[in-house]
Amino acid sequence: MDANAQLIEHMMNPQNYGSMENADAQGIGKNPDNGEKVLIHLKVKEEAGKPVIEDIKFQAIGCSTTVVAGSIITTEAKGTDFDRAEDIVAFTLGMLDRVPPEEAACSEMVAVALKAAMDVYTQRQIDPDYPVISYKIKNSCETTEEVGDNQ
Amino acid sequence: MKTVMIEMHEVWLETMMAGFMSSGEKKEQLFDFAAIFFRHFTWLENELIEIGEAYNYDRNMMNVQAERLSDLLHRIIKKLGALDLQLEGSPDRELAHRISSDIRYITGVMMKMKDERVEAFSRALKYPGVALSEEATKAFTRFLFEESYKEYELILIYNYLKAHSDDAYLNRIFQILIDESQFHFKSFGNMMAKMGILSVPRIVMKELYQVEDVVQFLKDGIDEELAAKEECRALSEAVGKDSPELAAFFDFINMQEDYHITLMKDALAHYTKKETDV
Repeated sequence: MDANAQLIEHMMNPQNYGSMENADAQGIGKNPDNGEKVLIHLKVKEEAGKPVIEDIKFQAIGCSTTVVAGSIITTEAKGTDFDRAEDIVAFTLGMLDRVPPEEAACSEMVAVALKAAMDVYTQRQIDPDYPVISYKIKNSCETTEEVGDNQ
Repeated sequence: MKTVMIEMHEVWLETMMAGFMSSGEKKEQLFDFAAIFFRHFTWLENELIEIGEAYNYDRNMMNVQAERLSDLLHRIIKKLGALDLQLEGSPDRELAHRISSDIRYITGVMMKMKDERVEAFSRALKYPGVALSEEATKAFTRFLFEESYKEYELILIYNYLKAHSDDAYLNRIFQILIDESQFHFKSFGNMMAKMGILSVPRIVMKELYQVEDVVQFLKDGIDEELAAKEECRALSEAVGKDSPELAAFFDFINMQEDYHITLMKDALAHYTKKETDV
């Protein structure tokens, strides 16, 4: 399946979309420029002393690119331990300067939402009432129009 | 009752999808049935409001992909049968009786519908009779995914606002906006089916329809409508070279957004006046 076909697949059937009852932690990635955001829900189990993402769901106020990013990243993260999930976050954030700004903002929102959810889970091991964390993204999906000579 | 409302929400969407993926006389019949299910959904919502039971528009994610229309119709019929049984526990016996009566008739008609092979999930990315360039195809595909979801979202937002308002002036506006979005949702869904990319819109987050600041929502909404006009204009330009027919359709949708803007401005003025009067 080529990249375009995969994108269509994720748009038609986004994986892991929806809310989760009795989530162990939630985290938010937010675009302060336009109010778009991603909410990630985690169900976590401890295996060999390490937290493992047993189940993951996401919801988005955003465009279809955000939904595709959410579908891909949550699929990658499901079943992994937090170390591997941190790698997924780092990898996603590391490639943002190589993609168009609007796509960068969408992927960053999902990545920081996942990071926020993991941070909430970690904090809740100390304080069970630790609130949901919301991280703001650095990229903006607002693209600036070039002013042509004829303007 | 909450479960019944959620399932009726799902049946409305599934029946719309069945309409998108079908052809001939039964297509319009399925859209008519979907409209009846949407009204059932609003009746059930109103009952929840009356008895003071908290609710939202969450539902299950649905995959309606099917090789034959009968596959989906059987699923809908089965769900309606279960829903009919659940209605036994409804406190409003008259409403339950009316809905049961509709379910019995509609399932009877659905059972007899002529089966057909479904092409709505083929991922062909080709619009019948139109040779779009790769760039135009991408723009068109993206537009359909974005806007079909957006119209579904708007239907739910205006429906929720209407359900929680007893202001006749505003409810007239909300109803027109619901009807407009239903038409757009139907138009884009039919196009998605023709392109082979039909899918159920994703679940709408609560905070979008449980609007806390209606004035701000309307102001933002007017900006969004202006952006939607620009999207339509850009898409009309992108497909215009390959298909004047599609371009004319998107110009039509572009101009329709002016109705929405006018209605939202009217609603905004009405809300602002109400707040000033208080």
